Amino acid sequence: MSSTAIEARDLAKSYGGPPLFVRLSLRAESGLTAVAGRNGSGKTTLLKILAGLLRPDEGTVRVERAGARLSGEPLRLAVGWAGQDLNLYEDLTALENLTFFRRAAGAHADRGEIGRRLEEVDLAYAADQRVGGFSTGMKQRLRVAFATLFDPPILLLDEPMAGLDVSGRELVARLIAARRRNGAVFLASNDERDFVQPDQTLSLGR
Amino acid sequence: MTTRVPPEAGRDLSSPRPEDRLARETTDDPTRTGRVLARVWAVAGKDASQELRRRIALASVFFFAATALTLVSYAVGPIGVPPEARGAVSAALLWVILFFSAATGLPRAYVREEEMGTALALRKSVSAPVLLAGKTLFNYCLFLAISAVVVPGFAILLEWTVSSPGELVLVLLLAGLGLAVVSTFLSALVARASQRNVLFILISFPLLLPLLLAAIQATLEASRGALSGTVLQVLAAYDGASACAGYLLIGAAWEE
Repeated sequence: MSSTAIEARDLAKSYGGPPLFVRLSLRAESGLTAVAGRNGSGKTTLLKILAGLLRPDEGTVRVERAGARLSGEPLRLAVGWAGQDLNLYEDLTALENLTFFRRAAGAHADRGEIGRRLEEVDLAYAADQRVGGFSTGMKQRLRVAFATLFDPPILLLDEPMAGLDVSGRELVARLIAARRRNGAVFLASNDERDFVQPDQTLSLGR
Repeated sequence: MTTRVPPEAGRDLSSPRPEDRLARETTDDPTRTGRVLARVWAVAGKDASQELRRRIALASVFFFAATALTLVSYAVGPIGVPPEARGAVSAALLWVILFFSAATGLPRAYVREEEMGTALALRKSVSAPVLLAGKTLFNYCLFLAISAVVVPGFAILLEWTVSSPGELVLVLLLAGLGLAVVSTFLSALVARASQRNVLFILISFPLLLPLLLAAIQATLEASRGALSGTVLQVLAAYDGASACAGYLLIGAAWEE
């Protein structure tokens, strides 16, 4: 069996103004990494950079498995991500959405498998409803299901509690607790109560 | 700041690691999996499902085609210019209708993903070449569907006779493939631009002009039953070159 680690070195990013962060380095292989900071401090940007969705101005991000650097398809699927600007197809049902993304990535996607994933976020009852009719909280649960769709060893969650009711927050907290045992979870939040005994904390902000 | 996490801290060694399961399900080279076609089909099927459920986008494409066909038939058809005076103009008119009808639908391939906010989900889960192939497949089917409506309508309304229908079908298949490949790739290229519609037209004009000129010539020859190998080779070479360029460049165009 092999473990997967994510390592960032000397990251820097700005959007034309003052830099959000400079010379930011981190490494995680398992456990919970809390990404804290006020609004606009760069939490979302950092997680997108780690997810490979945004290029840093400087620095590198490496994801390694058994000492070998991942690239291409394994890299894409090894890092799960969910953020507030992640939208799924509103014309398709929750089941169709997750089935599509798994099939398009070349993964197994029968109804039982997808149903189990919807059950994990307590959305099994809405499997055949179009996402366009979902509430804010239901969409947030589906985002979390998307982030864990490929059982990624590195999981990046950007404000996953936003818009969730009490049961939804407890569900995500349980999911994070389970995932951090077998991989690295990065949790960005404005609410420090979301960070339950983090293994490391990144505090962003000028 | 760097905070190192102990590698084995808190790990439950009795349960399988996520990466091991992931590695079983996917490989780094999709051509080795034997499932590339299934992935491409999944993308094309998703696009088709969406378009069929919305209907409005598909309806606008076919409505444009019907409108253009009607206008041309009134201006040039039986009540306008007589058939013997049309000559080569018919082939050009057919491609004007086909091209502009397709141009209302084909550029939407990637643009709608950006507009709906689903592009990030795609970038996170689907490889760029697979996505390009799937969206090209859908666009190709859309072009063939447009052709299936426009060409018979054109032949009836303009009393346009084709000596070799089989050759015309071959021309439509080859030219349509090039049109779908280039339009889909350009859609990815301009998807994040603010003036994406204008940009698409400006970039597509020089790239598609050789294809359209060859398609018009091939259609003219097919209508006379004298399709030459040369023009077919041009169309096939255009398809091959554009497919190779698209495959090589789509990663930079879509993911960077």
